[in-house]
Parts: sequence; structure tokens; C-alpha cells
Amino acid sequence: MSTQRERFDAAIHFRKPDVMPWVETFWDETVIQWLKQGLPADRVTVLEWEMGRGGTLLGNMPAVRGFNVNSYFGCHRLFGCLMQADIGPMPRYKLQLLNETDRYAEFLTETGAKARRSKTGEYDWYSMPMFIDFPVKNRETWHEYRKRLDPHDPRRYPKDWDAEAYVRTFETYQDGPTMIRFNGFYGFGAQLMGIPTFNVMFYKDPELMHDMIEYWEYFTIETIRLAVETLRDRVDLAFWWEDMSDRHGPCVSPRIFKEFFLPHYKRVTGFLAHHGIDRVLMDTDGNIKPLLDLLIEAGINGQWPLEVNSGMNAVELRKKYGERLFLVGNLDKVELAKGGQSMRNEVDSKVPVLKEIGGYLPGADHLIPVEFTLERFKEYADYIKRYLLY
Amino acid sequence: MTDVLEDIAGAIGRLDSEDHAKTLLTAALSQGVSPSEIVEKGVRKGLQTVGEKYEAGEYFLSELLYAGSLVDALLQMLKPAMKDQKLERKGVIVLGTVRGDIHDIGKNIFRMLADSTGFEVHDLGVDVEPDSFVEEIKKSTPDVLGLSALLTTTLTEMRNTVEAVSTAGVRTKLRILLGGNAIKKEFASQIGADAGVLDAVEGLEICRKWMQR
Repeated sequence: MSTQRERFDAAIHFRKPDVMPWVETFWDETVIQWLKQGLPADRVTVLEWEMGRGGTLLGNMPAVRGFNVNSYFGCHRLFGCLMQADIGPMPRYKLQLLNETDRYAEFLTETGAKARRSKTGEYDWYSMPMFIDFPVKNRETWHEYRKRLDPHDPRRYPKDWDAEAYVRTFETYQDGPTMIRFNGFYGFGAQLMGIPTFNVMFYKDPELMHDMIEYWEYFTIETIRLAVETLRDRVDLAFWWEDMSDRHGPCVSPRIFKEFFLPHYKRVTGFLAHHGIDRVLMDTDGNIKPLLDLLIEAGINGQWPLEVNSGMNAVELRKKYGERLFLVGNLDKVELAKGGQSMRNEVDSKVPVLKEIGGYLPGADHLIPVEFTLERFKEYADYIKRYLLY
Repeated sequence: MTDVLEDIAGAIGRLDSEDHAKTLLTAALSQGVSPSEIVEKGVRKGLQTVGEKYEAGEYFLSELLYAGSLVDALLQMLKPAMKDQKLERKGVIVLGTVRGDIHDIGKNIFRMLADSTGFEVHDLGVDVEPDSFVEEIKKSTPDVLGLSALLTTTLTEMRNTVEAVSTAGVRTKLRILLGGNAIKKEFASQIGADAGVLDAVEGLEICRKWMQR
């Protein structure tokens, strides 16, 4: 019998595993709701040994680490064993409360953005903050911010970094894929400037955009270099976070992608491929179809989550792109959460046909939302498992 | 005279530089073209082209946002010359993100486009109580109420707002438009709204059509 990692690796390389890997990710708030709805609290994960209180106590303490909902339901975690290279600003901005009213709280975040959170909402992070100000606005603020993006800052690697120990960890990990994760060129810029400003700058100040994106290529490669050169093909895939599209389509046109992004994508994916990391999974919500040809040319060969509400359809993509793209997700979370025939129709319409062709890992088309009840998820889990055996 | 208006429309439609568009605007004013004609036959025509290219899949969010900033710069430049001139008003829109939702990127894009196209927009902001929408409707008697929501968890607030508007008896001639990432088209009819749209350009096009009837 194969391990979960071997199954995942087979699927993303278009080989048939013994069991098709079913992949889900969950909002923490959903799991909290499910604990209230009957998920057994005695299965909450406790890490046995950790230096106490974040390292402020020279002693060993147990630490609560949440609920392993993937293991409980038998689905794969998308993020298995992650390579620990820190791509954040160094030093971090100090998280602090800036303003507070009866309805809102405004914070300075660790990336330097200002975020407003509703205090009246039922959920916590699920309700997502509204970012109201960003640290990079123009050339001057970019040059200032760049000082915090030194790829050679020793804090980018874990305190316990030990190449041999990490090699062993990545070799022995079998509960899912091993992975390297970082922001892509759109994701990084939109995080630092905000979506409206970043998008307009391609027209207002193209030189600044070239400068930022070129630096991000250098920063990304140099930050991950040590880990990539150490672990090489023990890393099963790279997870490339972009979120560069909405329901209408990509946020940038193919022309802008070609001019500003394509060469830098190629150099990063080329660096990974040179070290044996040949699978690159892009995470972008929304409709990415108009950019797919260019993304494939850029070295991206996987897509998640393929949101149905944005017109993404894994069956159509498989027909059009064949083995040039492995696909993850694409089961409409809204239909799945309805349960019954709606859920069964959604699974039946995609999973059997894609299973036959291969290169597909079934799952919801984004994180499992709070509206998805525990009872309905159990029903969905029982149903989809009928399809997983080859 | 016509040429310079076409040049302005073309500059916006092609997404030329702000400097170039401003030069054309200065030329139009120096030729004695009235500001209202510049807005109607130059600026708004150019913006219309951008909207069409967006719907056709030639332009994307970057292009839409840049066109908006370009038009805004031109309208600011025209303001002093327009002090005694009235532009044709396409209609009145009351707009806001519903209670419990504090996101406004999509709403702001719609507001910018509607405003530039000639609608009078009363933007109530984010996290707006149903009663606040009702009060504003009573005050400004809009043609359209635009409700925005990013989060699926706040869809119930759209329903609550539509119900509050109906209960308050201010629904008679009012059209209700739903927008935002959480919206599916069929949701609009399920809660008694008139239309649900996938993006700001589609929303604006629907408002235009409603005003023509």
C-alpha cells in the first residue's frame, strides 16, 4: 500500500496511484463550528514537547495545536511538510492596535499594512479584514521597504536549522506532500501596495513595477536557495500563491503578464527545475483562464482551487491542456454544502471522468467554509470516498 | 472640434498617458469646446470604450482602474471650467456594502465608473445598516439601490436590506442591484432584487439600460 505522499506524487505526475488523493483545506472557524456540532474535542492535537511560552521559559511544555481534521476524515492536507524559509519583512512590523470603536478595530500588521476588522461579526479571520493602508505607495516607500527584504538575513531560516536533520525530515515525511511555499509576483506586489494601487502602477509607473518585480525574483531565489539546494527533489512541489484573478478574469492582461511577469516566472521555475523540483502549483482564486497558456509557458503546471463560481471547470481544462496541468479542487463548495443530490451531482459530474484521465486531486474549490455543517461534510466525505480507489 | 473630442475619447480608450490626455483636454478648451461637450463626447465615450473592451476580455482590472484614474484626473482638471454648466444626469444611485461586511474595492470601482458616466452616486460606505439605506432612499429618491457584499456570511444581510426597503414602502420605482464576490445571479431573484452582477462594468450596463426604459 502506498503512503499518502506517494499517492500525491503519483497524481501530480499523471501516474495512477492505488488511491486517488482527496485534498481539502479548512477555515479554522469551520473546525471551531464543527467542534460545537459534535466533532470530538478529545481528538484535539497536543504537541508533547515545546519550549515553554514561545521560548521565554527554558523548559518543556505541551502545546495545543488544534484539530487534525484531515486525518479525522481521511483527506490529504494540501500543505504537508513545509520548507521553513521566511519570506516576510525583517524586522517585522510590530503588530499593534491603532484604533478601536464599538464596531471596528484597526491594526498595524506584521507586513506593515493597516487593517480594519469588524468586531460585530460572528466569525474571526473568516470575515477577513479590510486593508485600509499599505506600506508601499511609490518609489521612495518601496526603497525603504526593500531594506526589510534582505534575503541573506539569518533570521530567514529556523533557529534549529540543520541541513542533515532537515533532509531526514523531508525524506521520512509520508503523511502528504513536502512543499516549498512563497508569494508570486502579483501576490507580493498586491500585498505591499494594495490591489488598486498595484494594478494602476503598471500604467502610471512601469519602471517602478519592473524594479519591484525584478527584486522579488532575486529575493525569492536567494531566500529559498539554501533550502532548495539542500533538499532538492525531496521537495515534491512548489506552492506559488498569487490570487491574481477575480470572477471576470485575471487582474492583469496577457500583455502586462508577458512584459512584467513572464521572464521572472521563468527564472524562478527554472531555478526550481534545475534542482529537481518539477511541479509548481499556483493558488489563484477567480477566473485565470485567459492567462493559462502564458502560465504554462512560465513553468506553472498545477492549478488550485479552480473556483466554479468564477467559471473554472476542471473537465474542460483537462480536455484543453491535457498533461500540461495537474488540477486540484474544483468541486463547488456551495453545492457540496447543500448535501443530498446537489452534492452527489457535483461529485458525479467531475470526479469519475477526471479520475480516469489522471492528474487530478479532487476537493472543494477553496477552503471549507463555515456554512458547511459537520453533518453535510460527513455525508460528502462518505460519498467521495466511493470514488477514490483505483 | 469633433476631432479633438475623438482624440480625447481615443486616448482614454487606448489608455494613453495622463499627460497626453491632459494635453488634448487643454487643446479642446482652447478651441472653445464646452466642458459639458468634452465630458459627454470625449471622456464618457472613451470610458464606454474601456467598458466594452473589458467585457470583451481585452482589458482587465488593471486597465479598468487606470482608465478610472485617468478620467478622474481629467474631470478634476475640468472642474473650474464647469462651474456654471450642468451635465446631463443619467440617474441616481444609492450605494453601499451591507451590514457586517467592511469590504469596498468592488463597490468603489462601480462608484467610480458610475460617477464618471454621469450617475449621481450617494455612497453610504461599508457595514451599512438596512435602516440607513432606507433613510437615504427617502432623502434622495434614487432610481437604483446598489448593494455590495464580498462575504458569503453577509448574504443574509442583503436579504434583510431588501426586506427593510420593501417594508418601508420605498420600493415602488426603485431597482435593486446586487454585486460583489459572494453574489450568484440567481440569488437576486431569490431575495426579490432586480439583478445580480458579476462585475462593476456589467452592473453599470444594467443601470444604463434601466434608465433608458
